[in-house]
Amino acid sequence: MKKSFLLLATIVCSFGYYAQTVEEIISTYHQTIGGTKWDGIAGMKMNANVDQGGMKIPVEVVMLKDGRMYTEITLMGNTMIMQAYDGSTVWTTNFMSMEAEKAPADETENTKRAAKEFPNALINYKSLGYTPTLLGTETIDGTVCHKIKLDKKTILAEGKEVPSFEYYYIDTENNVPILTETEIQSGEMKGKTSQTKYSDYQEVDGVIVAFSNTSGIKDGMTQTIQFDKITLNPKIDESKFLFPKK
Amino acid sequence: MNQLIIYLFVSGWAVCSWAQTPTLNAGDYFGDLKARHIGPALMSGRISDVELHPKNSNILLVGAAGGGVWKSQDGGVRFTSIFDQYCQSIGCISIDPSDPDNTYWVGTGETWTRNSVSMGDGIYKTTDGGKNWTKMGLEKSDRIASIQINPKNPNEIYVAVLGALWGPSNERGVYKSIDGGKTWNNLLFINNTTGCSELVMDPTQPQVLYAAFWEFGRTAYSFNSGGLNSALYKSMDGGATWKKLENGLPQGEKGRIAVSIAPSNPSIVYAVIEAKKKEEKGLYRSEDGGNTWTFLNGDFALTVRPFYFSRITVHPKDPNIIAKGGLFGSISRDGGKTFKNLGSMHSDIHDVVFDNNQPDKVFVATDGGLYRSLDGGSSMEMIEDLPVSQFYHVSLDNRSPYYVYGGLQDNNSWFGPSASPGGVEARDWELVGQGDGFRVYPHPTHPNIVYSEMQGAEAIWRFDVEKQQLKTVKPYPLEGDPKLRFNWNAPLTTSKHNPDRLFVGSQFVHVSNDRGDSWAKISPDLTTNDKVKQNQEASGGLSADNSGAENHCTIFSITESPLTDQVIWVGTDDGNVQVTKDGGKTWENLTKNITGLPANTWCYHIEASVHGKEIAYAVFDGHTKNDYTAYVYKTVDFGKTWQSIATTEITSFVRNIQEDYSNKNLLYLGAENGLYITLNGGKTWSAFTNNFPKVAVHYLELHPTKHSLVAATHGRGIIILDDVRPLRNINEGLLTKNLSFFETDRFTLPEKSNFGGTAAENQFVGDNPSSNAKISYLLPKRHTFGKMTGEITTLNGTLVSKIEVGKNKGINTIEWGFNANAPKVAKGKGFSVAPPPYVTAGNYIVKITKGNEIFEKQIEVIYDSSSSFTLGERAQQQQTTAEVFNMIQDLAYLVYQIDQWDATATAYKTKHTKADKYVDALRMDLTAMRNTLVVTTGDNYVGAAEDELREKLNEIFANVSNYFGAPSSSELANITALSNELNKAKKQFGVLQETKIKALKSLLEKDTEIKNPEILSFDEFIKQ
Repeated sequence: MKKSFLLLATIVCSFGYYAQTVEEIISTYHQTIGGTKWDGIAGMKMNANVDQGGMKIPVEVVMLKDGRMYTEITLMGNTMIMQAYDGSTVWTTNFMSMEAEKAPADETENTKRAAKEFPNALINYKSLGYTPTLLGTETIDGTVCHKIKLDKKTILAEGKEVPSFEYYYIDTENNVPILTETEIQSGEMKGKTSQTKYSDYQEVDGVIVAFSNTSGIKDGMTQTIQFDKITLNPKIDESKFLFPKK
Repeated sequence: MNQLIIYLFVSGWAVCSWAQTPTLNAGDYFGDLKARHIGPALMSGRISDVELHPKNSNILLVGAAGGGVWKSQDGGVRFTSIFDQYCQSIGCISIDPSDPDNTYWVGTGETWTRNSVSMGDGIYKTTDGGKNWTKMGLEKSDRIASIQINPKNPNEIYVAVLGALWGPSNERGVYKSIDGGKTWNNLLFINNTTGCSELVMDPTQPQVLYAAFWEFGRTAYSFNSGGLNSALYKSMDGGATWKKLENGLPQGEKGRIAVSIAPSNPSIVYAVIEAKKKEEKGLYRSEDGGNTWTFLNGDFALTVRPFYFSRITVHPKDPNIIAKGGLFGSISRDGGKTFKNLGSMHSDIHDVVFDNNQPDKVFVATDGGLYRSLDGGSSMEMIEDLPVSQFYHVSLDNRSPYYVYGGLQDNNSWFGPSASPGGVEARDWELVGQGDGFRVYPHPTHPNIVYSEMQGAEAIWRFDVEKQQLKTVKPYPLEGDPKLRFNWNAPLTTSKHNPDRLFVGSQFVHVSNDRGDSWAKISPDLTTNDKVKQNQEASGGLSADNSGAENHCTIFSITESPLTDQVIWVGTDDGNVQVTKDGGKTWENLTKNITGLPANTWCYHIEASVHGKEIAYAVFDGHTKNDYTAYVYKTVDFGKTWQSIATTEITSFVRNIQEDYSNKNLLYLGAENGLYITLNGGKTWSAFTNNFPKVAVHYLELHPTKHSLVAATHGRGIIILDDVRPLRNINEGLLTKNLSFFETDRFTLPEKSNFGGTAAENQFVGDNPSSNAKISYLLPKRHTFGKMTGEITTLNGTLVSKIEVGKNKGINTIEWGFNANAPKVAKGKGFSVAPPPYVTAGNYIVKITKGNEIFEKQIEVIYDSSSSFTLGERAQQQQTTAEVFNMIQDLAYLVYQIDQWDATATAYKTKHTKADKYVDALRMDLTAMRNTLVVTTGDNYVGAAEDELREKLNEIFANVSNYFGAPSSSELANITALSNELNKAKKQFGVLQETKIKALKSLLEKDTEIKNPEILSFDEFIKQ
C-alpha cells in the first residue's frame, strides 16, 4: 500500500503540483543531461554541414573545459578558423584579407571570464559564483517553461563594466532548456535580445546534448546549425587554437 | 488514508485525462506563426512622456501614447521596444535616481485625455533595465500622471493617479509606497471625479511635494475640464499633510494645472493654471516655495488646450529658462515673462526635457513623434526609428504586393506597400489626406484613385494618385435637410458590388454611384437622435473645446453584405444596430434584440458574413461609459436574435471583428489590449502574442487572396500576420498525429530581383514578408529529444536541398528558397561563389525525418503566370545553367586531381631530393596548370588576383542561373570560350597523366612509404 501511495503521489507531483526551487530545477536539469558524467568530460567536438541556401559548409566546433575553443569552417575547399580562443587571445579570420586578426579587447576579456562555464553557465553556477533566480513559468512557442535568470556578474561592453544576465527557459516536462536569451550589450544591436533555441537532444556516451541550435535576434532572422556528430573528449590539434604567428 | 489515496488517484487520473484530451484552444497551437511590423515611422505617433538617464546622456526612455516604452542607448539614434507584453498606453516613466542603469517605473494610461486616448492597467517596475517587468499594483488607476522616487531612499515612491476619464473612479490622488511598491497608501484623495494630474518632488528635500489636482471627465459626446475641486497642493512632510496653495493663484473653479520646480533653485516654482477667467489663465511663478505667486503670462502658447498640453519644464541649471508644451511648444529665457516658439516640428507638444549633462540637448514629445534639438530647442530633428503610428483603420488593395491604406491620429492619411525592396521604408509611403486621417479606401478596380477623409468629414477626398488630381466629394445637406452629424471618425466605405459606389454615414446613410460626384440618402436618421448629446458647442469646460471630437448620435459603421447589395448593416455610436434587406428602402432597428448589452453602447463594427447574408457579427465598445467589458455578438437570422461569443479570456473591450473567409469557426478580434483568435467560433479565445504587442487594435482586414490578416493598431502601426491558412486547417484530428502537414497552394517561383533599400541606419524599416515557399505542419507536442531533419527531394527521392525544420508545439513553417544545391567549386585561394540554381517548375517532396518516422508532403512549384519569359526561353536558360554547372564541377574535380598529384610529387621530391627531373617538371606543370584554373594569390578585396577559369565560370553561372530568360548571345559566346579553355586543360592533364604522372607512378611503385594518391571517382568527390 505504501508503494502504491508513493507512486500515486509521484504521478500527481509530476503534473506540477509541487513547486520546485531554482536549485531543484537546475539539479533536475543537470541530472537529466548526465549529472556527474559531465565531470569527466574535458571537451567536445561538434561537426555539422550547414546548408547555406544550397551551399554546403562543413563546420567543426571544439570547446574545451579550460575555455579554449575554435570554430572551423570549410568554404570552397578552404578550411579556416572563423573564431578561436587560445586561452589568452580571441581571434578571427578576416574574410577580406584571409588573415588572422585579434578580436576587440572586450570580447577577449569576456571570453576569459566565461572560460570555466563548460558545458554551460547554469550547471556550474555555484563554482562560478553566479546567481540564479526563478522568475516563474513562461510559455515559449506553446511549451511551458521555467524561466531562470542567471546573474553572471559583469562583462565589459565598450570598455565599461555592465551587468550580465542570461535567461534559461527550461521545459517543465522534459527538464532541459529549449531557449536561452541574453541582451546584446554593445554595438549597433545594443539593447536587442539574442536568442538560441535548442532541440534534438540526444545521448552521446552517457550524456545528453542538444544537436540542434537555432540562433538569432528575437523576432528576427535565425540560423539553425544541426550537428551530425558530437564527440566527447576528442583528440585535437592544439595548434588550431593558437593565434597564428605572422 | 484510503480516502486520501482515492482522492490522489482521482486527481491524478483527472489530470491525465485532461492532458490527453485534444482541445482546440488556439493559443496552444500558434507555434512559429509570427506577426511582422511595417510601421511606418515617418510620421511616427503621439509621444506622451520622455525620461532621460540623469548621468548617462546616451540612455533615454520614451513612453508612447499607445505604443509602449522604447529605450535608446545611443542618445536617440536607435530604439528598442521594451514593454511589448504589457499595456501600451503610457502615462509616465520614471528612472530611479539611485539606480538609473537598472530600475525604471512605468505608469500606464496616457494622461493627455483626448477622445481617442487609451487607458492603463497599473504601475510596473523593472530592476534590470527593462528586460523583465513586474506589475506593482494600482490596477484600477486607469491613468498615471507622475512617479516620484526619493533619491535617498528608492523604496519611497509617490504616484500621481489621475484616474478614470470616462466616469467616476475611487483609485485617484497621491499614493505612496515605503516598501518599493509592494503596498500603497492613498495620501490625498479629493473625490471620484478629481485626480492628481501632476506631482513633483523637490530634488534637494524629497519630503517636499507639489500635487496638482484636476476635476475632469469625458462622455462620448462631451468633455469637461474644471471645477471647484481642482487645486494645487503642497506637502512638507512626505505627504502626511497637504496645504492648498492659493496666495496669488486664481480662486474658484480651476482646470488642469501644470507645475514644475527649478532644479537649480527649488524655491522657484512655476505653475500654469487653467482658470475660469480668461485674464487669470496662464503662467504663475513663486520664488518662496509656493507660498506666494505672481502672474506672469497668459499667452496663447501657455493657455491653449490645457487638457492636452500641461507640462512645464525648467532648465536643469538656469531657473529662468522654462519650456512649455502646447500647440507648437514654447520656451522662455527670462523667467517666464516672454516666450517664443520652439523650432519647427510636428505640432502638439506634450513634453519637453533638457539633458542634465548637456542642457542644450533637448528632447520634445509631439503628436508626430520624438524630436531632438542640440541647440536648446531652436532647431529640431525628428527621430526616425519610432514606429508608434496610431492608425484608426486599414483597407487593402489587390495589387501584388498588396498596399495598405489608413489614416492616423493627427498624422494624415497614407498608403504604402506591404513589401518593398530592402523592407518597407519611409519613402514607400504616399500621402493621401490631411489632418487627422481615418478611413482610406482604394477604388476597387482603379487603385490610382484613393478616397480619404479628415476629422468629422470636414473633407472627404477623391484623389487620383497618378494624375495628382484632388476633388472634395463629401455629401452636403440638401434643402430641408437637418445639419448632418458626422462622427470624428466618420464611416466611409466602398462597395463589393459596384466599384464606383461609395457609402458615407452621417446620421443618414449616403450613397454615391459615381465616385462621390453625387449623393443620395438611403436611410432615415438611424441614430437615437438624442438632443441632449448634441450640444458640442458647450464642450470643454473652462476652456471651450469644440473640435468635432465629441460629435455624437452618428453612424459609425456601414457594412454592405459581400453576398448581396440589398443587405446593409449599420451601427451607430449611440448604440443602434440597423439593417436593410432592400438596398435602403426600409430599415429595421435590431438593438432591442441584443440581450446583455447595456443601452446606448457604441456599435464599433459590424462584420457581414461571407458564409450567409443572414449572418453578421457586431462588436460594441462601452469604454466611453466607463465600461471595459468585451461585447461580441453573432446573428444568423438577420439580427432577430444575437448570441454573445465573448468570453472571460478577452480582458479588455473590443473594437473590431474579422471573420475568416474560409473557416467559419475562425475569427479574429481586435481588442484594446491586442489581437485575439478563436478556432471554435468564439467558445474560447486566445491572445495572439507572437511579436504582437498588447496594443489597441482599431481595425482588422483579411486579404482575400493573400490570406494576410492586417491590423491597424493605434500605437504600433500596421502589423501583419502574413498567412493565416494554417489556422484555418487546424482540427482536432490533427492533434492525435505526431506530425501533420497542412494543405498548400502551388508555389510560384519568384522572379523579381532588386538592389535593396535606401534607408539610413537611423530609420525604421518594416520587415518584408518571405518570398520563399512556405510549407506548414502541426506538431501536437514540441520536438525536444531525438533527431529531426528535413529535405526537399524529387519525386524519385533525389535530394534537392536540405531545409531547416521547426520543432515548436503547434504550427511550424518550413521556408524553402526554391534552391537546389550549388555546384561544387574548385579549391583555390579566397572565395569564388557559385550560387545555388533555382529549381524548375514541377513536383517535389518535402520530407521530414522525426526520430524513426518519416513524414512526406508533395508540393508543386509553378512559374509566374504574369512572367514575360516563354517556356522555350526557360528551357534554354535551364540547359545552359546545367552545362555551366557541370563545367564548374568538372573543373573542381580537375583541380582536385592536380592538387592530389602535386602533393604526392612534392612528398616524393622532399624525400628523394635527387629525384628524376620528371618529378620537378611534373610539379611545375601542375602548378602552372593550377594557376590558370583558379586564383592562387591575393585576397578577397582590392588585393585580389586576376580572375582565372574558376572565377570566370562562377561569374557566368551566377548571371545565367539567376535570370529566368534565355542567356544572351554574349553570355553563350563567353561560355563557349570558357568551355574550350576547360577542355584544353582537361586534355593537357590527360597528356600529363600519360607522361609525367605515369613516370611518377613508376617511381612510386618502388617506394615503400609514398603511395599513389587515392583519387576519388568524380561522383565520390562531388558527394564528399
